[in-house]
Amino acid sequence: MSRFEIYSPEGLRVDGRRWNELRRFECRINTHPDSSDGSSYVEQGNSKVICIVNGPMEPSSKAEMSTSKATLKISLNVTPFSSIDRKKRSKNERRIQEIVTSLKRTFEQSIIVNKYPRTTISITLHVLALDGGLLSSITNAITLALIDAGIAMYDYISSVSAGFYNNTPLLDLNQLEESDVSFLTIGVVGKSEKLALLLLENKIPLDQLESVLAIAIAGGHRIRDLMDKEVRRHGDLRLSKLANK
Amino acid sequence: MSVPLVTQKRLSEGLTVTSKVFVRSRNGNASKIVREHYLRNDIPCLSRSCNICQTIISPNAQGELQKFVLNENPLKLKEISAHYVVIDTNIILQSIDLLENVEVFYDVIIPQTVLDEVRNKSFPIYTRIRTLVSDDTKRFVVFHNEFREDTFVKRLENESINDRNDAAIRKVAEWYQNHLPNINIVLITNDRDNKAKAIKQGIKYVKTLYEYIELYPNANHLKDLIPEETNFQKRSDEKFFQDYYSTARLMGGLKNGTLYQGAININSYNFLEGEITIPSLPKPLLILGSESLNRAFNGDSVIVEILPKSQWKKPSSLVIDDDNLNSNDDPDSNSPQDSINDKERRLLTQEAIQSQTDASEIQPTGRIVGIVKRSWRLYVGQIVSNSVSKSNTNSAKSCFVKLMDKSLPRVRIKTRRATELLGSKIVVAIDSWGTSSKFPEGHFVRNLGTSESVEAETEALLLEHDVEYRPFAKTVLDCLPAEGHDWKVPENLNDPEILKKDPLLPKRKDYRDKLICSIDPPGCVDIDDALHAKRLPNGNYEVGVHIADVTHFVKAGTPLDAEGASRGTSVYLVDKRIDMLPILLGTDLCSLKPYVERFAFSVIWELDENADIVNVEYNKSIIKSREAFSYERAQIRIDDATQQDDLTKGMRILLQLSKKLKQKRLDAGALNLSSPEVKVHMDSETSDPGEVEIKKLLETNSLVEEFMLLANISVARKIYEEFPQTAMLRRHAPPPSTNFEKLNDMLRVKKNLSISIESSKTLADSLDRCIDPADDYFNTLIRIMSTRCMMAAEYFSSGSYGYPEFRHYGLAVDIYTHFTSPIRRYCDIVAHRQLAASIGYESLDLSHRDKDKMERVCKNINKRHRNAQFAGRASIEYYVGQVMKNNESEETGYVIRVFSNGIVVLVPKFGVESLIKVEELTNEVNSIDFKEDEYSLSFKNKNGNLRSIGVFDKVTVEVKSELDKSVGKRKAVLVLK
Repeated sequence: MSRFEIYSPEGLRVDGRRWNELRRFECRINTHPDSSDGSSYVEQGNSKVICIVNGPMEPSSKAEMSTSKATLKISLNVTPFSSIDRKKRSKNERRIQEIVTSLKRTFEQSIIVNKYPRTTISITLHVLALDGGLLSSITNAITLALIDAGIAMYDYISSVSAGFYNNTPLLDLNQLEESDVSFLTIGVVGKSEKLALLLLENKIPLDQLESVLAIAIAGGHRIRDLMDKEVRRHGDLRLSKLANK
Repeated sequence: MSVPLVTQKRLSEGLTVTSKVFVRSRNGNASKIVREHYLRNDIPCLSRSCNICQTIISPNAQGELQKFVLNENPLKLKEISAHYVVIDTNIILQSIDLLENVEVFYDVIIPQTVLDEVRNKSFPIYTRIRTLVSDDTKRFVVFHNEFREDTFVKRLENESINDRNDAAIRKVAEWYQNHLPNINIVLITNDRDNKAKAIKQGIKYVKTLYEYIELYPNANHLKDLIPEETNFQKRSDEKFFQDYYSTARLMGGLKNGTLYQGAININSYNFLEGEITIPSLPKPLLILGSESLNRAFNGDSVIVEILPKSQWKKPSSLVIDDDNLNSNDDPDSNSPQDSINDKERRLLTQEAIQSQTDASEIQPTGRIVGIVKRSWRLYVGQIVSNSVSKSNTNSAKSCFVKLMDKSLPRVRIKTRRATELLGSKIVVAIDSWGTSSKFPEGHFVRNLGTSESVEAETEALLLEHDVEYRPFAKTVLDCLPAEGHDWKVPENLNDPEILKKDPLLPKRKDYRDKLICSIDPPGCVDIDDALHAKRLPNGNYEVGVHIADVTHFVKAGTPLDAEGASRGTSVYLVDKRIDMLPILLGTDLCSLKPYVERFAFSVIWELDENADIVNVEYNKSIIKSREAFSYERAQIRIDDATQQDDLTKGMRILLQLSKKLKQKRLDAGALNLSSPEVKVHMDSETSDPGEVEIKKLLETNSLVEEFMLLANISVARKIYEEFPQTAMLRRHAPPPSTNFEKLNDMLRVKKNLSISIESSKTLADSLDRCIDPADDYFNTLIRIMSTRCMMAAEYFSSGSYGYPEFRHYGLAVDIYTHFTSPIRRYCDIVAHRQLAASIGYESLDLSHRDKDKMERVCKNINKRHRNAQFAGRASIEYYVGQVMKNNESEETGYVIRVFSNGIVVLVPKFGVESLIKVEELTNEVNSIDFKEDEYSLSFKNKNGNLRSIGVFDKVTVEVKSELDKSVGKRKAVLVLK
């Protein structure tokens, strides 16, 4: 028995949101201009992620090189202090490996990889705080950092999770909700309804899947707009700097 | 603990985010938790007199808007005129019964703060409040003050969480008053501090519960229902019990293994002795005496510490109940009852001496040092007549209530109507049990009526066994088909109109041509099952079991399903049936009545000559039963050689196959146990109980039973195959050998026999060998006693145990479930849904695929099943008592247990057992000689002759029924001849 009302009959969730509301979403790009080619910082609720992108660059070993396209190297570091109970996570942990694999697959499709043959793009992620939506905040951070690095992509990948509880779809779950609700995470391509990522690890009835996907896609579009705003803000800033020179 | 500065950030118009920061202790470690907390201004006041809030609300995922329920013209009372009520947590926790009362409390606002506190303190009370809110008649609303920006209260530095919550509740009252200036808002709280602060803050109407009820005209009878906060003044500082340990000490103790947690089980023969089973100890921990029990109730979840080895004892062989121990207490005084305590002590000393002599059987003892969770519920009892003072003033007086459950102490209540309530069965709730009080304190809730009247007794036993017997709520009845009794199986199965309504219809098989009949007890109206059989051209047999398709009407996730899940089972009393599902389904739409078409779930086997399964098929179907037989009529029809129609032939095939099935089952080691079950015949005109009869079995009973077992087993295999983690199954664990130790020892000493429990096969065989040539009944007696040593069968979801533990010991099969009675058992409904999903009929609801949810369901239906059995037995017991009232007689009885101060005798004819105390056996208490190792008791009987009685002895007893005046319970009294 959960100690909380996950979704009260009055239509409110544990943290006071309604069913179709996102958590606070804040992002910045170009946070580490000196140490990287592209960088970003994303806060989705209390989940906080830093992403650093380096590349396209010469691969360190010939074995990793592909003659036709760029190879992606992703390293994910979930800091021990990110969760409530301090816990050291190894990079080889199965769970982390799985996330890295699905991220690779997602971005190999979204980056125009054949523009950068014989190169490597390295993506480093640091999760500073975790309050649910790990995969979605990471995906959004990578998208922003790639844009900052000037790497050619087909479109934004905006990611958000959505769950299904007592006949109600719930958007953007926090940690508390994730432990009680079965949920999926999607990555939406730009303003379309195409998905670059779909991860569902528990069960959602097939007949309800559509309604869950619908609010997730709508949520993804809202996140895309917020990210776009930040990119444009940063773009304007750079332009004005150029103009002043 | 200081509270760090919390920032607030405005996200958009009407939405602000802040965070809740707190420190939680888990497993003895402290961890800091930060949670987001969104504040908004679109939370409505839900009053119909408000025009603003109507415009701010937004729809939910289904597009529905919240309903505004608070009346625009609320109740007017003197002094406070038209008002809404805001209630504090303590009011809900203490007097939920009063809130549910139809006479008081309309238009009530429950702040979210209060609801959360209630939820954390008591989940059952939380569900009751939620029911009140969802049911519009009493106009209760939940106001989410924590999420509304202008009612959210920040915790101040160094403010305790309780003080902050109180402030939040006051804020709600204040906000409502400003929001709705035309309606008075009354804050009700029993917390003096909170009340004072509220007045200081400028809230106009603050009342205690008592003051509020007093405003009602003619409220005197309601006042009894109030648990007053100062109901029982501390009359002396003397402590009868030791304080519980602090939470920190308990948690620490549990963590480092010095303290243990478990549920206490109080001996039904001795209310001063309890047992706690702790997984890490081989023997249960014994708790002796009221000091060690330290205010625990039967079933409480408690924390114990183990006493030094010098205090270890063996379980008592004495019978002690509250009656002879505390009968002289004065409810108004709390003075140390020396005489009583001494008596108690003397009993214990006797015990102690005995236990010292025999060290081999001593058990570790413990003392309760903390209570994790009280098992308190409503209890039924009766006022003890000598505890009521005779002075005729109208003030509230203390009196004792003796509860029906003998393992519980008496409860002290305060009421104005003590004299009036004498001789009635009443319901009481328990409020508290402090260290300075010898008895738990409670308050009166409801009068059930004169004890011994059928209505009062029936309601009392339903309440005592926690059976939900109230009529179905409207939300539940709304789930039934709109056609009501006119609902029919559609005639044209291809009609597009009908297919639109029921797209699954084409998946049903049409079995209307099969010659199906049902065989049930006479007068049965909820027919779950029907059968058919015919010979196939290849020499094999086709046998079908058709079960009512309840899940066609009871869809998962509906209020109807939730009600069924919470009731768990129908309860059968002698004169009454408490249905699990509304009567429309149970006795009409689902019931496989003869001559009409019904939906069914069919299991069809191809069986060969030896009744081995060649093939099995599961289908949802449409059937038409040709006849509904009673067991007797079916037997007559089968035996009547002149009947040669196909239906009768089919029944003969069934009978012949069922005998083979039974033989196979017995060969595999299925047990044939026995219980002293009796049936009460009712006079059809006056509905007075007429006579008692031991249930007898016909061949046709076993015919139906065998095929139901076969269906259950087949279905269990199928759903386990499909859902290895969550299949709804039933298991029966083999009895631990310790259970049989005593019985075996008795058999060895007395009869030189033994029971082997290595497997169910050896048990069945050894039971067959337990015969006393001189006495036919002896074998049955042993079977009855063995049944009591068995474990109870239980429902479980397949993920909870490994496959080898699925075994059903009693039936000697490796896997089993309940599938055949969905009208009256919830397990069967789940099994139906899982089977339907496994044949691809419809997809399975998520809740039946979730391991945790399934475990919760199993836990509940196991409890309900047990309670239903107890309630059924209690009902029979009551009626047997009524029968015996009219005819006293001499009957044969058997001694089944011997104590040092009494013997327990079972009378098979009535299925009653009762204790005969030594005082009734002899005039010279000193002549008693209790030989424990020989299970015998010798004494000088009333004529002065020496007599010895041992266990298994056949005795003649005079049976009569006597009313226990103080408890108002009729019980069988046996007098040894």
